[in-house]
Amino acid sequence: MNRRLRRELSRAVRTPFGSEITGNMNQSLASKVLFRSIRLNTGFAFALPCLLLLLLVLGLPAIMAVANSFTPIWSEVKTFTLDNYTKLLQDKTFWESLQVTIIFVAYTVMLHLALGLVVALALNADIRGIWLFRIIAILPWTIPDVISGLVWRFMYDPTAGIINYFLDRLGVQNPYIEWLAHPRLALPSVILADVWRGYPFVMLILLAGLQAIPKELYEAARVDGASVLQEFRHITVPGLVRMVQVALALDVIWQFRRFGLVYNMTQGGPGNATDILPLAIYRQYFKYFNFEYASAMAVVLAAIMIVISIPYVRMMVKRT
Amino acid sequence: MKKFVFLLVVGSLLMTTAGCQAPTPAATQPPPATQAPAAPPTVAPTKAPQVVTLRVSNWHLAEKHWEKTIKDAIPIFEKENPDIKVNLEVISYAEKEAKYATEIQAGAGPDLIHLAGYSIRNFVESGYLYDITPFIQKEPVGFLDQWYPHLVELFKYQGKQYGLPSDYMAMILAYDKKLFTEAGLDPNKPPKTWDEFLDYAKKMTRDRKGSGKTDTWGFGTVGTIDPGWELRFSPVLLSHGAAYLTPDNKCSALNTPEAKEAFKFWVGLVTDAKVVPPGVTSQGAGAVRTQFANELIAMKIGSGWTAPIIPTINKDFNIQENLGAAPMPVKAGKTLAKTTTAWYSGWMITKNTKYPEQAWRLLKWLTSKESDQRWFDGARVLSSRRDVSGDPDKGIKAYQPILDDKFSQVIQAELKNAQINPQLKEWPQIADTVNKEVQNAFTGSKSADAALKDAYDQINKILAPYRKAGETCPAY
Repeated sequence: MNRRLRRELSRAVRTPFGSEITGNMNQSLASKVLFRSIRLNTGFAFALPCLLLLLLVLGLPAIMAVANSFTPIWSEVKTFTLDNYTKLLQDKTFWESLQVTIIFVAYTVMLHLALGLVVALALNADIRGIWLFRIIAILPWTIPDVISGLVWRFMYDPTAGIINYFLDRLGVQNPYIEWLAHPRLALPSVILADVWRGYPFVMLILLAGLQAIPKELYEAARVDGASVLQEFRHITVPGLVRMVQVALALDVIWQFRRFGLVYNMTQGGPGNATDILPLAIYRQYFKYFNFEYASAMAVVLAAIMIVISIPYVRMMVKRT
Repeated sequence: MKKFVFLLVVGSLLMTTAGCQAPTPAATQPPPATQAPAAPPTVAPTKAPQVVTLRVSNWHLAEKHWEKTIKDAIPIFEKENPDIKVNLEVISYAEKEAKYATEIQAGAGPDLIHLAGYSIRNFVESGYLYDITPFIQKEPVGFLDQWYPHLVELFKYQGKQYGLPSDYMAMILAYDKKLFTEAGLDPNKPPKTWDEFLDYAKKMTRDRKGSGKTDTWGFGTVGTIDPGWELRFSPVLLSHGAAYLTPDNKCSALNTPEAKEAFKFWVGLVTDAKVVPPGVTSQGAGAVRTQFANELIAMKIGSGWTAPIIPTINKDFNIQENLGAAPMPVKAGKTLAKTTTAWYSGWMITKNTKYPEQAWRLLKWLTSKESDQRWFDGARVLSSRRDVSGDPDKGIKAYQPILDDKFSQVIQAELKNAQINPQLKEWPQIADTVNKEVQNAFTGSKSADAALKDAYDQINKILAPYRKAGETCPAY
């Protein structure tokens, strides 16, 4: 028995439970340790059902997807093969999709952060009715991905969309700008739609961070004659660093998984201009029935997201 | 307090696992029988047949004008078959493959599904469908002769039959007679060649509403990544004498002069002639129908669904007076066996069905002569049955309402010129590959020639498993 367990047991003897333990000295030591462990790990026990459910709903399909990438699990003939990964390395369209995905994620996350920070700073003001503005600011996030994609597709329509309508009224020479059909405009247009829809998530995290910064620091800074910019640089930014890290990590993971909005707007076109990896995986699996190849693509995407999330997980573990 | 917390934790754990436990024998004991009163003497009642419920999924239920026809028909079947109840399930056209594949894989698929030609081969070869060969063998001799033989073959795999054909139509040119007249063209003389087509399209691309910019275009088409895309591009390819694949399906055939000419012509409609509305690469079939219904485009490639759908979008569109139908234009000077592509669909029983015999009875009814005639009456969709759509070679006349309908009679007449798409499970991937390269050419990302070459090379890679070791495809 190690020192820690011995210490725990001696402590247990002095507790209300412990009196029961001493009263049952004939119980085996293992059951006493278990008894104590359960009491000590109450929090873990509360989380256990949820953990089991997550393992079942998320973990099991993930394991099956990994297995499927090496061997066709739905087939009667099962042979282990690396062919899918070899094919992936040589597949030009896969690497193009990965490139588009990285560009999409980089721009959307940056813009979510920038816009989220600006709006969070504005919503941190202590004015009457601020709650109404906070509700309005969150509204884009409440709209489902798919609906946002549809709405923006209609807005971007070259002949009937509202954006071109206003540009035409402003006298823009070419009234039929092909926002989603032009290879150079399609990805920025999709990014803009996603930024509109996704910034509230980051904004909420940053707003929470701003609200946690003590107001006395700002008062003290003002007394010392600090300008607004200096307050921002020396108080707000350091106070928000942790929250920015959390927001960035979560947002990057979310953006790598983005699907519904892009699918409804462009289906990955024109050509491969907006063909992000989740779309490519969906097509391989559900349209072409290349189940094993799609699983290999999904495993690669998951590996990328795991690598990205390592700093976030380390930060959370360090905190606890 | 700690004791309370401990008991609470243990209790909640037990409650969450309680639902997973198998019921104990005591829990399943029937309640004690009560003594029934003495019944008066009567003739022993016949045993009521067990009523089974069949789940039937069909994308047609998502469109009002089709939904009504189906919902009106099902009670007729249920009356004739009181032991079967039918539950209709809506599904979107774009997502049916994904949903069916997931559900069937999970053992929760519907009893019957309706699929379009684009993905039939995938399902037939995937093991998702129920083998109906034993049922067919019990039918009278010549049972399958009721349908066009080449369509029945589409549902066969390794000697077994996995479905029956349903809809069958040819893609044709639909045009707005009013816009023809306004542009000074004779609405009774639609274009017969692609040169005429281009000429007409240019004349009808103009500032019609006095807006100071082009607001009407000569032609509209599907350009987004969509199963319906290949129904619009294939007729152009075929009517130039080209094809997607070689006859043995081992290589792409997009390297022929005819294919290059067809591809360049198609791309030129957007890049050079500009007779197509802007944003074509993001337009699906719904958008094109809306443009046609609102008189933004004068011509489109469509089929039987065009006539009933257009008035639902714009009730002021007078289809009797203004909707014209014509065979697909052809390359001038060419005589070709096939000048357009066929649209077809089929009904299949899934392997999940618990009631195969009842599902077979419903499948037979859904593909019967009376059902297909009813389907045409309500939805203007032609049938894969010879005794409905006609077979002049066998002296079988078409259903008279088809021949009386101006739009449908063109579709019916074109069936003999309609080509079925290549029957490979890789077909969706091949179609999407060409579609993406067409998009690249439309947008100017690649020249028409470079785009076609890339399509050719990618298709050859997709077809590599069909070639023996050492077998190669010719250079582009």
